Order: sequence, then C-alpha cells, then structure tokens
Amino acid sequence: MTEIALTRVPDPRGRVPVSDTEPAVPPRRSRWKTWAPALLFLLPAIVGLLVFRLIPIGWAFALSFTSWRIFDDVAWVGLDNYAHILTSPVSREVLGNTLWFTAMYVPGVMIVSVTLAVLLNNALRSSAFFRGAFFLPYITATVAVTLAWRWIFSTRFGLLNHLLGQVDIDRIAWLADPAWALPAVAIVSVWKDAGFYMILLIAGLQTINPGLYEAARVDGAGAFRRFYAITLPLLSRSLFFVLILALVRSTQTFEITYALTNGGPNRASTTLAFYIYQNAFVHFEMGYASALAYVLCFVIGLITLLNFHLRRRWVHE
Amino acid sequence: MKMTKTALCTSALICLAGAAAAQDTTLTYMLWSTEQAEIEQAAIADFEAANPGVTVEVQAMPPSDYWPRVSALAASGDLPDVMAMSSGFVQEWAAAGNLMDLAPLIGDASLEGYFESAVEIGEIDGAQVAFPQNWVAPVLFYNRTAFDAAGLDYPDADWTWEEFRTAAEALTIDADDDGTPEQYGFWVYGRYAQTDPWVFRNGGRYVTEDGAALEINQEAVNALAFLASIVDDGFAPRPLEMEGIRQQDIFGMGMAAMWVDGSWNIDNNRALIGDSFEWGIAQVPMGPDATAETAVAYAWADMLAVTTDSEQTDLAWALVQHLTGPTLSAADYTGGKVPAWTATAMTEEWLGRGQQPDNMDLILEIGTQPLYTGFTPNWSAWRGYAAAGSGGLNGELDEVFNGRKSLDDALDAATAYGNDILSR
Repeated sequence: MTEIALTRVPDPRGRVPVSDTEPAVPPRRSRWKTWAPALLFLLPAIVGLLVFRLIPIGWAFALSFTSWRIFDDVAWVGLDNYAHILTSPVSREVLGNTLWFTAMYVPGVMIVSVTLAVLLNNALRSSAFFRGAFFLPYITATVAVTLAWRWIFSTRFGLLNHLLGQVDIDRIAWLADPAWALPAVAIVSVWKDAGFYMILLIAGLQTINPGLYEAARVDGAGAFRRFYAITLPLLSRSLFFVLILALVRSTQTFEITYALTNGGPNRASTTLAFYIYQNAFVHFEMGYASALAYVLCFVIGLITLLNFHLRRRWVHE
Repeated sequence: MKMTKTALCTSALICLAGAAAAQDTTLTYMLWSTEQAEIEQAAIADFEAANPGVTVEVQAMPPSDYWPRVSALAASGDLPDVMAMSSGFVQEWAAAGNLMDLAPLIGDASLEGYFESAVEIGEIDGAQVAFPQNWVAPVLFYNRTAFDAAGLDYPDADWTWEEFRTAAEALTIDADDDGTPEQYGFWVYGRYAQTDPWVFRNGGRYVTEDGAALEINQEAVNALAFLASIVDDGFAPRPLEMEGIRQQDIFGMGMAAMWVDGSWNIDNNRALIGDSFEWGIAQVPMGPDATAETAVAYAWADMLAVTTDSEQTDLAWALVQHLTGPTLSAADYTGGKVPAWTATAMTEEWLGRGQQPDNMDLILEIGTQPLYTGFTPNWSAWRGYAAAGSGGLNGELDEVFNGRKSLDDALDAATAYGNDILSR
C-alpha cells in the first residue's frame, strides 16, 4: 500500500492544524484574492440594487411618515398617513376593490390556465399553434389589446352586448356600471395572463410519470378520476407557485385598469396600485402614496405568509 | 391687473435679450406637447438667430410624463428656465414658490396687444407668475341642420335655459320608436368642461373665495339639477349608454344635436363632420339665478412661466414674449385655441372663414368678458381630471346622470372628499 505524505498547510495566524481532517484556513490574502473578482463582477448589480431598489424602499418607508407634496417642504406627520388610510372611506373602498379583484382574478386565472395546460398537454399535445395562440395575449401590448376590449365591452356597439342580445339578455354597461367595471377588468386580466401561467403548469405536467396514468387506466379510472387522483396532487407544487404569482399580481394590477376604466366609474375599479399611482403621480402626495405602498406591501406579505402556512395542507411534497 | 400701455414690438424685445446674451448661453424650455414643440421650432430658431450665442434646449413630452418630470425637477431645484404652465396647476406651483413674478421684468412695457382677461389668468395673489400663449373657452355646439329640420331658431345671446330645454326635447328623435333615440337633443356627462360652464353661467361656485374649501353654492346646485333633469327627461343619453364611444365624437356622429365642451374640439368636429351637416357655436346660455356680478364666462389658458431656478431671467422672459406674441401665426394654433396675442386671433385665417363654424368671432367675444377658471390647488383630485378623472366631482356627477345617485348625496360625497383633499 502506498503511503501518502500529507503536508500541513501553515496557518498565517501561526496556528497549526491539529489533525489532518481539520480544514486548513486559507491565508487572508488568498481569500481576498478569491472574493475580489467575484465582488467586482457583482458590483454593478449590487450598486443597481442599492440605488434603484433598497435605498428607495427605505426612503419610501421614511416618507410614509411625512406629508410631502413633491415640491414642498417635507413635514413629519407620524402615523397620520396610516391613520388616514384606515379611516378614509375612499381608502377603504379601494382596499375593498383590491380584495374583490383578487377574489375574482386568482380563481379565474388558475381555472383557465389549468384547463388550457391540461388540454395542451393531452388533446392538443402536438399543437405549437395553440400553445402560441394562448400565450399571445401575454406578450401583446396591454394598451393595444385593452383598446380592443373597450370596443368589445361598449354598451351600445360592443360585440359582447351584441352576442348577449342574441339570447335576449339586456345590454350591460360593462365599463360604466360600478357592479360590472371591476369584473370587466378581471376578465381582461385573466384573458391576458392565463397563457403565462399555462406555460408554467405545462412544465409541471410534463414531470408527471405517464406510467401512473397507464396504471390508473388499467385499474379502470376515468379521465375525471385520473385528473383528481393523479394530476392535481402531482401538479400541486406548480399550482402553489402559480397561486403565489397570481396573488401578488392581483394586488398590483395597473395597466389594464388605467387603459380600460381609468379606475371608474366613480372609483368602482380603482385598486390599490392604481390609487398609489394617482396619489404619487397625479396629486404628487408622495408621503401618502408611500404609506399606501407600504400597506400594499403588508397585504402582499400577509397573503404570502398565509399561503406558505396553508401549503402543508395541500401541496404534495 | 390692468395693463393698458403700448405694446413693445417683438424685435425690440429680441434686441434687449440679445444684449443680455453676451456670451454662450443655454436656455432650457420644457413643454407638454411634442406637436407644439414642432410648431415652435421655427420661432425658436428665429430667437436663437436674433441672440447670437444663445441656444434654446427644448424638451417636450406628453402631459402624463411632463408633470411628474417637472415636479421632480422642482424638488431638486433644477427646473428649466421656461416651462409650460396650465391654468389647472398654476396656483399650487405659484404657492410652492417655483414661478417667478414677471411683473418686474414686464416693467412699464404695455401688454395691451394681449387678451387682458387671459393675462389675468396667470396672475395669482397679485403676482404675474405665468403668461398666456393661448386660451380656450367652452361653447355650445349645435347642429344647424337638425335645428332647421325641427323648425327651431338658432341659439343666441338671449337664449334662456327653458328655451334650451324646449329645443333639447324637440331635437330628441326616436324615429323607429324602439325606446332609444337615434338623435338626442343634448349630450353631457360629469366632465368639468361640460358641466361647469352651466354652473358658472348661473353664478354658481364650487369653492370658497380663497379656494381653501369646497362649498357648493345653491346656484351651482340648481345648475347641476337642471342638467340632471335634461338627462332624466330623456333629452340626453345617460353616460353609461355612450360608454365605448369617444365622448367628443357623439355630436359629430349626429347622435346628439347640442353639446357643451371646450372650443379646442372645433378641429375634431371639422374632421369628423366634414360636410355631412351644418353646425355652429353659441355661448352657454345665462342661468336664471345669475346676476351681472356673478355670471362669468369659463375659460382657461395654456401659459409659459419663468421659473425661480432660472439664472437668466431677462433672457427667459424674452423667450416667453417671443413665443406668446406675434411670432406664431394663426396656423400654429389648432382650431378653437385662441392666440393670446389679439392681432393673431383676429386674422381671417384663425377665424376660419369658409369653414365651419362660421361664427368663430363668438369665442373672441367671450374673451372680452370677465373670465373665471375655478381652479384651486389639488383641483385635479377633487374635480376628477385626467388619470383621476373617474373620481371626485366628475365621478359623482356621472352617478347622478346615470340615475344611480341623488344629486344631494353625490354633492355631499364630493364635498367631503374634496375637503379631505384640500385640508391635507
């Protein structure tokens, strides 16, 4: 048996490793040499992160305790902005709208995207055309497609009301009726985003072992049973990921609201992100807008925490 | 402010400015319209040629980018020398100390070449903080062909609101009797340019005299109730019926025979209507509650201002005068935007002879009357304008016109919301 001669690496601090199994501490200089290039490469990203994200986030938090119209002096108001958000009927209406939108958008987009993903993974498996067609709304310019939807939703000349008229349903003022404006925004949002989530879910579906379906089929399980007993549990990790994304996105909806309803009628479709925009960049109430942004951050954080807590109950690990 | 002395000619101003520009200087100028920047290109080149060593750096962008941008520049003390200023924002910008009082720069120079009432729009608390380039006023557009068909006289200066109602009823036509008129007598929704002319022509006011609080007076309530009754009686469509149609096209498409909105819509009307029907403009009828003291014409101006960040104020003021005086021609003002320089406004070209409407002089007559803008700090928030247009008084009035809310409830809600904003 050949003997291997081990060489002890001297510790620059003068300490000699006591055993061969103890890792030698590299000299400080060589450790710096290892890190320096990495840090240099990371520096632009770190500076960007600090300047464009972390410092503004901290700054916005400080601003949320002030009253600052952008070109006036900054005045410390303590918790007044937060108190106003909690007591103002307008803020409460906007928060309510945000939750109502989430309640419509999240289930809607998940049902549509799961349906599309399953269809494309099975019946339309080889169809790149359908895959592209369903993904297309996601990559199309929001303002452009929203203009088309404005026409579809038009009370008098809209396609949707024309179709409803064919089955004797009265015209609906989709964008001008407070009861329908937010659902209209949700419909367009689901239509636009479902293709993106569909792609994520198809990736999840393709990790499921086809042998499981074969075995279930041999055992006499129908399509419905196979979906509930195999597809849903094994897709649950992807579904969880999609759920988190959809929840966060639902609280941040802006472009479609801006182009479709402008938050109307009478604020009926104004959600938190749009309200923050109005306060920051229309009324220039930067302090109040910052407080609203932190409320939004809190809402998103709370929902995400709740989801992670509930995850154990339904996500198949 | 009364300004009655003789006008300085532009060439003299340019020479004065030239003297100020002894060395290479860059003047910065920001405005909210790229189209306007193109229109002014030649005038700016003239200014630079007359002032050797002076370069005017123009930055133009859409309004949605303009206000956040200049606000950020104000916060950092980097405002341009000259900036475009809207009537809707001039009060808060002046209050924040961002706009220079031009009075010392104007000195003894006469401003009589300008519409006096338009110049006064830029005067805030005794300081001339902005100077008008053009101004606009709401007018009553009416379909002459429809009036002829209904056997009605055209609106004139003596028209009463009851005569207006009678005309609106006669002009509402449901030929196929399906419950939806093919032509309504009138079109209105909650937008400031459509409702507020009626309010102010009735002596109504939304805000207290100092503009610090919303306090909607009875004359304003009566005017809004009158408009709501026109809609409730079916002589104007409910706004929700018109959703999906560009509101400024409703009159031009022949769906409503009368409409009140800003005079800047003249261009759109000309393009849309062509020769398909005859149309004219009239002043919004005086309300029954108005007195000689309280009735005012509603108007607002696009202005230029010299900022307090400018270090070359003489030159900046010279540029303002150059761009607001006779340098721009009538063709540079799109139909309905009245040049602040009176002589340009009175040219045959601006009056649009040979085109519809054939009575553009009416807008100039409005400019000679006492004008009122009704703007306050935070106006866009409480009135509901632009990206906040779905809320405020605008949103509440739409609820009334859509038959979903009583006028009293709507005005109570709008007042509470507005005062919350104004008190912040």
